Amino acid sequence: MGFDLRFGWTGPIGAVTLGATRSEGGTRRVSYRIGGGTTLPFLEYNSSHSSPLIAFEICDNPVFWPPIVRNYCGDLVNNVEDWAKTADATYGADMIRLYLTSTRQRNFSDIPAMGKAVEAVLSATSLPLIIEGSNEPNIDSEVFQRCGEVAQGERLLLGTAEANRYRSIAAAALAYNHSLIAQSPIDVNLAKQLNILLREIGVQRDHIVIDPYTGTLGYGFEYSYSAMERIRFSALKGDTDLAMPMICSPTDTLTIKEVREAESSVQDEMAATWEFYSGLAAAVAGAEIICVRHPETVPRLKEAFRSMKNGTGSAQVR
Amino acid sequence: MTDVAIAAKSGEGLLKKRMASLSSSFSYDETAYHLPVSYALTGIAVHDPATAADAYTRAGDNPIIATECLLAQSAAGKEKEPAPYTGFVGDTVLRKLGYSLVDGSILGLALLVGTPQNAGLAAGICRELQEKYMLTFLAGKVVPALLENGIRLGPEYRLIPLGLTNAHGVHFVDIIARVAMMFGGIAPGDAGRLLTYAAERAKAIVIVFPGLSDEDIALVDAMRVLGFPIISLGSYTSDAWITVTPVDAVRRGMETKGIRVTVTAIPIPMACSPAFEGKSIRKEEMYVEFGGGRSPAFELLKMRGIDEIKDGQITVIGPEIDAMKEGSAHPLGIIIEVAGKSMKKDYEPVLERRIHNFVNYGEGSWHVAQRDIIWVRISKEAVAMGVKIKHIGRLLASKFRMDFPQLLDAVAVTLITDKEKVLAAKKEADNIYDERDARIKEMRDGDVDTYYSCTLCQTFAPNHVCVITPERPALCGAISWLDGKIAYEISPAGANQPIGKGALINAQNGEYEGVNRFVKKASHGEIDRCSLYSVMEYPMTCCGCFECIALMVPEVNGIMVVNREFKGVTPSGMTFSTLAGTIGGGAQTPGFAGISKNYILSDRFLQGEGGISRLVWMPTQIKDELKVRLVKKLTDQGNAGFFEKIADETSATTLEELCAFLDRVQHPALAMKPLV
Repeated sequence: MGFDLRFGWTGPIGAVTLGATRSEGGTRRVSYRIGGGTTLPFLEYNSSHSSPLIAFEICDNPVFWPPIVRNYCGDLVNNVEDWAKTADATYGADMIRLYLTSTRQRNFSDIPAMGKAVEAVLSATSLPLIIEGSNEPNIDSEVFQRCGEVAQGERLLLGTAEANRYRSIAAAALAYNHSLIAQSPIDVNLAKQLNILLREIGVQRDHIVIDPYTGTLGYGFEYSYSAMERIRFSALKGDTDLAMPMICSPTDTLTIKEVREAESSVQDEMAATWEFYSGLAAAVAGAEIICVRHPETVPRLKEAFRSMKNGTGSAQVR
Repeated sequence: MTDVAIAAKSGEGLLKKRMASLSSSFSYDETAYHLPVSYALTGIAVHDPATAADAYTRAGDNPIIATECLLAQSAAGKEKEPAPYTGFVGDTVLRKLGYSLVDGSILGLALLVGTPQNAGLAAGICRELQEKYMLTFLAGKVVPALLENGIRLGPEYRLIPLGLTNAHGVHFVDIIARVAMMFGGIAPGDAGRLLTYAAERAKAIVIVFPGLSDEDIALVDAMRVLGFPIISLGSYTSDAWITVTPVDAVRRGMETKGIRVTVTAIPIPMACSPAFEGKSIRKEEMYVEFGGGRSPAFELLKMRGIDEIKDGQITVIGPEIDAMKEGSAHPLGIIIEVAGKSMKKDYEPVLERRIHNFVNYGEGSWHVAQRDIIWVRISKEAVAMGVKIKHIGRLLASKFRMDFPQLLDAVAVTLITDKEKVLAAKKEADNIYDERDARIKEMRDGDVDTYYSCTLCQTFAPNHVCVITPERPALCGAISWLDGKIAYEISPAGANQPIGKGALINAQNGEYEGVNRFVKKASHGEIDRCSLYSVMEYPMTCCGCFECIALMVPEVNGIMVVNREFKGVTPSGMTFSTLAGTIGGGAQTPGFAGISKNYILSDRFLQGEGGISRLVWMPTQIKDELKVRLVKKLTDQGNAGFFEKIADETSATTLEELCAFLDRVQHPALAMKPLV
């Protein structure tokens, strides 16, 4: 190539390690080191840089899950262990992201069950895990403490810290050596501010993954893209408070009108297509982890990443 | 009386002697940090007399290390401490405890050590510490005293009995040392960073009862270096220990260490949220009203010393609401007294403006205007729910504490409803308003070295940077220089950052090296130069929130201003919204600037273009709004009569009409240096 793909950029993206193998003090079969990039993704042909990771999202109470996934996965969704196993062995995910949706029930108080759910998924799969705890301030403290404790040594990625709600997650990350997701509402400055707040409370930069908040393609994704672009440019220009890997979860894709109202014969196709294109766009914007919920999306993304990385230009996407 | 300095010296000597008598090896169970204080301070893993001696010497004969080693040795080989004592606390429990500290579910740590004069006194202190979300550790005879008094001990009560001797207080330090290593990333042996961490991050206080031996005094006194205030309730004399009465012990300790209790819920019988801010209470819905021209009323916020007011105290002077007839108007004085370490007198007016928001947060309370022209209403519905005048006070006291936790340590509210007393207090308030006006009026851009930025709008205008100076408020009109300063102090990582203005580049345009440097960085490299007082050359960027737009009208060699409320077409041929669409989004557009209304009254207004004499057109609405102040200012400048030379939509709606009008009044802009 005749031109400089680094554009005079100086700051590499910081690396974050997720999961821990036995030799690293955990029980995972693999650990990932994400981040470390020095330019925008997919610019360098045959780069040694790894493709984005694909995290498959599951939950412990499917009432709060999109109907399309419940229909596709069937009974699996009622058994978090089997669901995790299948996501690992059959769907081919790189990571499992467990949402503790039980905590969203009114007056939920069975905190020990949350610890058990995390333990169950830890034993059902040996992939690194992302754990989404509660989002109810009254129980956050106990839930994150419990999740952090039962998975000590496993280097989880814990979610999701926000500017007005980050202390419990930070505490769990600090106490049990996990990393965390810092989410800000599509705004580069707020992303930076949250990272500074986390730093002040003691969370190291190499334990933070930025979630810029991801809209669905055509439903606000362009804002996410712009925010991600700005986060990445700032980082590459040397702003260390933004030089973290990013995670994107375009979760709304499965509930948009086009998917909801599609003919039942093509509904899964429609869902996976929307999820695929939203996820692909997020990867192009620089995300290191792409989260999906429809099993058919996983192989499509994998194939796309592979072809883009090799520069074959043969990505055949349906 | 025991002299602490002398006793500590003697204690250090005794400890040193005993250190020489260490014989066997020893260690703590359930920890990866060996003897944690020794390990943290020196990096040495102590487990026998030789390593103990090494660490002790290396740390300069530190009494904490001596006590730690001696206690570890005496505990070695024995059973665990008998219930309820915990003895050494293992890492697992500690991790949870550190979690609660980071998480904020406990605010700080306290150590109670010694033999209290009586059990009731110790119980009172423990209760207060529990109420204030402190985790309390107990060492010495204070434990049996509490047990005798029926106080329940254990982690679930946030009262942890470490041991029966005062020396067990050393576990308090080993806990903090481990928290620093686990949570603070402090490397073992990095004594410097450990001390900084303990002093700045560990929110710990020590409360000392009588009955400490010389060795105990040496131990406790050595904790000062970790930044823990030593609060004394015994007969100890020391310059460094703080002697207090029992009722003051907790408050004094927490204040000294800067531990603040945050308020979460406001105990009043009506809902309170920004969601209610926009609602109004109409006459039919109103139970009672104050001010608004119907009765004398005022509001005032004053700074006080921390010892002059009692936090959360609400005083109502005069009749309560049940003595007021439905539909009536009554006098009201709202006096808010605040105290805080970082509170400054300059902040008074800024904080006072928040009364308006806070009263409106109440579902059944409504507030408009400020100072001695306020107008307050309370709804029938609220009164039916039991809302009284005192609850307005409670609402204000709580909201001030909640919203300014870094700034305020105490807020007291006095509400006066007695007419004579309102009038008397209002006189004093009027003097204060005058003083403030004089002070603010004298504040010039040249008086300060630091301006403040505002990048709040980068959410939608990604490269926009407001530079706020004393004489040029943010273009939205909502943030003054003082607001920016306070916002920065309250939230140092927030959207308002200090800008060192640096060397002067161009005095007339108000261009500074420091400002340019800041704007370049904050605009992500997009904007290289920014002149504070010019519309024509490198004007400030515009987000979209500007109250007014100032734009050049080259045909008449002047500048016109149009405010957001003006719906018509301006002589430029464009409406406000068309103009706003052209210049917003964070761009720098020479010839156009977003400004606040108050900036028009500033001496810096249009300075780069030769001053206010350039102003040729402005809608009547804003002219009326500014008239009194602007005419006075112009008259003071010897420019009386200029106000009438400014055209508006009644005298000129097109460029031709504007030219004709300006010619007729002989507008000074026509004869000024060409704009372009």
